[in-house]
Amino acid sequence: MPRRTASLLSVLSTCALLLAGCANPSTGSAEDDPTKPVTLRFWHGWAEKNEVKAINDSIARFEELHPHIRVKAIGNVTDATVNQALRAGGDDAPDVVSSFTTDNVGQYCSSGMWVDLDPFMKKTGLDKHRVFPTALLDYTSYRGEQCALPLLADAFGLYYNKDAFKEVGIERPPRTMSELKRDAAKLTRRAKGGGYERVGFMPNFRLYENSPERLFAQWGPSYFDKRGKARLAEEPAAREFFATQRELIRRQGGYGPLERFRTSFGDEMSSQNAFLTGKLAMHLDGEWRGRSLKDAPFAWGTAPLPVPDDRPETYGRGFLTGTVVGIAHSSTHQNAAWELVKFLTSDTDQVVAFANAIHNVPSTKAALASPELDSDPAFRTFLRIAGNRYSSALPASINGGQYVASLQDFGYAVESGRVPDLGKGLRELDEQIDADNLQAQN
Amino acid sequence: MTATTTLPAPAAPSRPAARRSPAPAARRRAALEWIAVHTVALAAALFFLLPFVFVFLTSVMSDDQAMSGELWPHEWHWSNYAEVFSTPGFADWWRNSLLYAGLGTLFTVCSSVPVAYALAKFRFRGRRTAMLLVISTMMLPPQVIVIPMYLVWAQQLHLSGSLWPLIIPMAFGDAYSIFLLRQFLLTIPREYLESARIDGCGELRTLLRVVVPMAKPGIAAVALFQFFYCWNDYFGPQIYAAQNPGAWTLSYGLESFKSAHSVNWNLTMAATLLVMAPVIAVFFFAQKAFVEGVTLTGVKG
Amino acid sequence: MAPLTAAPALRRKAVRERLRTLGFLSPWLIGFTVFFGYPLIATVYFSFMHYNQIETPTFVGLRNWRYVFEQMPLFGPALWNTLWLVVVMVALRVVFGLGIGLLVTKVKTGVGFFRTAFYLPYLAPPVAATVAFVFLLNPGTGPVNAILGNLGIHAPNWFNDPAWAKPSLVMLSLWGIGDLMVIFMAALLDVPREQYEAAELDGAGAPATFRYVTWPSITPIVMFAVVTGVVQTMQYYTQALVAGKLASGVSVGPGSVIQPGYPDHSTLTVPQLVYSLGFQNFNTGAACVLSLVLFAIAMAVTTLLMRRRAGLLSAED
Repeated sequence: MPRRTASLLSVLSTCALLLAGCANPSTGSAEDDPTKPVTLRFWHGWAEKNEVKAINDSIARFEELHPHIRVKAIGNVTDATVNQALRAGGDDAPDVVSSFTTDNVGQYCSSGMWVDLDPFMKKTGLDKHRVFPTALLDYTSYRGEQCALPLLADAFGLYYNKDAFKEVGIERPPRTMSELKRDAAKLTRRAKGGGYERVGFMPNFRLYENSPERLFAQWGPSYFDKRGKARLAEEPAAREFFATQRELIRRQGGYGPLERFRTSFGDEMSSQNAFLTGKLAMHLDGEWRGRSLKDAPFAWGTAPLPVPDDRPETYGRGFLTGTVVGIAHSSTHQNAAWELVKFLTSDTDQVVAFANAIHNVPSTKAALASPELDSDPAFRTFLRIAGNRYSSALPASINGGQYVASLQDFGYAVESGRVPDLGKGLRELDEQIDADNLQAQN
Repeated sequence: MTATTTLPAPAAPSRPAARRSPAPAARRRAALEWIAVHTVALAAALFFLLPFVFVFLTSVMSDDQAMSGELWPHEWHWSNYAEVFSTPGFADWWRNSLLYAGLGTLFTVCSSVPVAYALAKFRFRGRRTAMLLVISTMMLPPQVIVIPMYLVWAQQLHLSGSLWPLIIPMAFGDAYSIFLLRQFLLTIPREYLESARIDGCGELRTLLRVVVPMAKPGIAAVALFQFFYCWNDYFGPQIYAAQNPGAWTLSYGLESFKSAHSVNWNLTMAATLLVMAPVIAVFFFAQKAFVEGVTLTGVKG
Repeated sequence: MAPLTAAPALRRKAVRERLRTLGFLSPWLIGFTVFFGYPLIATVYFSFMHYNQIETPTFVGLRNWRYVFEQMPLFGPALWNTLWLVVVMVALRVVFGLGIGLLVTKVKTGVGFFRTAFYLPYLAPPVAATVAFVFLLNPGTGPVNAILGNLGIHAPNWFNDPAWAKPSLVMLSLWGIGDLMVIFMAALLDVPREQYEAAELDGAGAPATFRYVTWPSITPIVMFAVVTGVVQTMQYYTQALVAGKLASGVSVGPGSVIQPGYPDHSTLTVPQLVYSLGFQNFNTGAACVLSLVLFAIAMAVTTLLMRRRAGLLSAED
């Protein structure tokens, strides 16, 4: 019937029209004059009252220095939101964006969603190698493209309960994995009826900050080979790491009981945190934790996490990550946006003040050396970890944090004893990561 | 073919057992049955009501007590509610929920009534096919078509970050509402319409003057359903409004409320009750239409 | 073409009627084309493209299809969970709804109270109900396990245990049984009373009465409840997502990579995976493949339903 054909044709052509328009939404420009009055939209993830106040103070200082630039900040923004908004473009899209994780830097750089910052640095004479530590530059770039800069860093180390150590007669925090296993077993106290009163070091990957890549960093593994293929099956460190984790579980009573104990813990950020309530004698955590331990009913200290027995020279290393900040590709005020990024990330006074305010590790060489920094020794430990030459961050991937998610899933399977053959499991993990990465490529 | 629109008669003596002068044994059996039934009913009522009670009690506890697993508040912190209301954004969520649910309902009813009327009362070729398509749309999970739809709204029309991508489509008929209204309109005898036509009314006037007044209960039920659908919707706002906190609805905001107040279960529970409250309030005002509507969905042919 | 010999007046009338029908149907015709027809075609189109929603889409043939069916580890669990919920949740909901409906018809004292009490949870918005349940069932800090512990019962970890997470979701859905209760209650009260009296005279016990009197007359409603239950459960999204997210305890914070379906993907449903692929990984192609899988399942169920009719379409007056 001709009428039907006609209507079908019109439907199809409408579809074709809509689909054809599916190219890149809106493109921004770096042609703006940064000395003209302008309002920037800045998205960040800070949500707690004192954190929001700290970032707003930083912004106020910036606005004082650049009276013609107004900054409209929106907090509590997650990566998913940033990702979606940058793809959609539109009037509400941000100019300056930040992320609490380094996971997505590869994606941001390779897709061009966050613009390359090198031209801006050249224009305004900022030598990034002189200003930022190398490890931090690495995690803010992907294949040579610097599409982000670090805005404070996080270092991971060991918190330990000094009272518990004294009670069982241990003098100092463990420095090697063997010492960790021994001390953890010694510090563990079972309760009557099968539960625990205290666990020495809970290695379960689902505990608070225990995600596998954090402890894994103590081995300094390489996740990918030169061609970008996953190589965990060939990485001896991967086997050692999982073996160590399972050994820690075994020596402290087994996965089931530990997991049951874990699910009875209160929220991480609350006063019911298991380290704070004395249920954990040693604890992997970031530098920010110290602030909430001020009123702990016991004496506590910090140290770097232990290292493998055969690499004692690397003691002092730790896992690094941090907040990253960049400029959205859709921004039409990129030069003004760069002024804000430059100020937030490289102005020494600003970095030090902000680091002190939210108790994070500063992210420039000058700020790390600043005498103004919080002198609390528990905090200083993390500054040293951040400065250690063996400390490492996760490599950026085109696929964002998906390989980390795959590693986590694999970790959960290993710790619960669902991977009988570790070698085979790791080969499958590699295949999975490669397949996911291929799927993300054009 | 009648749609079951009658309300279940309250307290109808549904069992024929308790009449006639019963023998003592039968009476004892009836008494035992009474006890058994009401015991089970009480147990069920506890299952249905206790969560509300716990949520309420927790909502007036202090931060620390809310995490203790204790049941009764040491002190009554009514200020928790004030604190929830003063959370930045909470008032916006309310406004947005009302906007989404209000406009969504209005649009849906206005656009669905004529379609349902045509499907119920007009004779035309392809009517059966049209009805089949309506039902198919109704059956379809919204996730099936969300991606291209999102791309159009976000990249061509630049309306993501608002609730309009959710509200505008409702001006073009909603399959579920069309279906329900049609079922209801089928029960209106054709003679009424004929006589209206003889009086010289055009179809549009027949619809507005005769059909709509007669279909009020059905329209009320559909409106209520749509209102609650919008109010409860989480998926839609997550897709379209997530990137703009200024456009969040209560249902969406509540979940992020927990993220931002990870330690304050008491505040989260207070917020939870505040999200539930309007729905329950509307229920008590519109109980009749509501039960009727639910029954309407259970129509048999 | 209408025969040319027809009287012009008649033809005009036919045209007018057709226009009238089109006019009344127009909102839906437009809506159906723009918000259903187009996206469906576009979903098929994108399932053959690589498109990260930034760069221009490129044609990749069957790559997305192969990826979903052969390489994506979450596809299996998601499909399994959705089917598990479709079977278990729907079955239990129907049984429980019928039970509560029966109970309400038998209650003689405080009918109003019981009906309202049983109905109320249905009104709780799904997000709110889920948040409440995650809190109540929290193994460490929630009141339910505290009570069970005091009674000496070894309580499960509910939403934190891969084996218990789905049953916990089922419990949540049973809590909101109000809609089914009302439908069944109406159906039960519709059973002709004479039939009960006849059964009583025959000396039939309660089970026999239910089997031979009640059941036959409520079968259509049970069918209806099953069908709509299946359709709703295939879309099951909000409760599973919110429960998994909150129970995992992961809030926005440093290094938050969240895999959906905590714990161990036990609450990951197909709709969630569509969202996760399409709006978190921006793997548009794979998300569209999965959408089409969901579409195929939904269509299969709908076709089955059309054949059984289940009372949905029979009223042709």
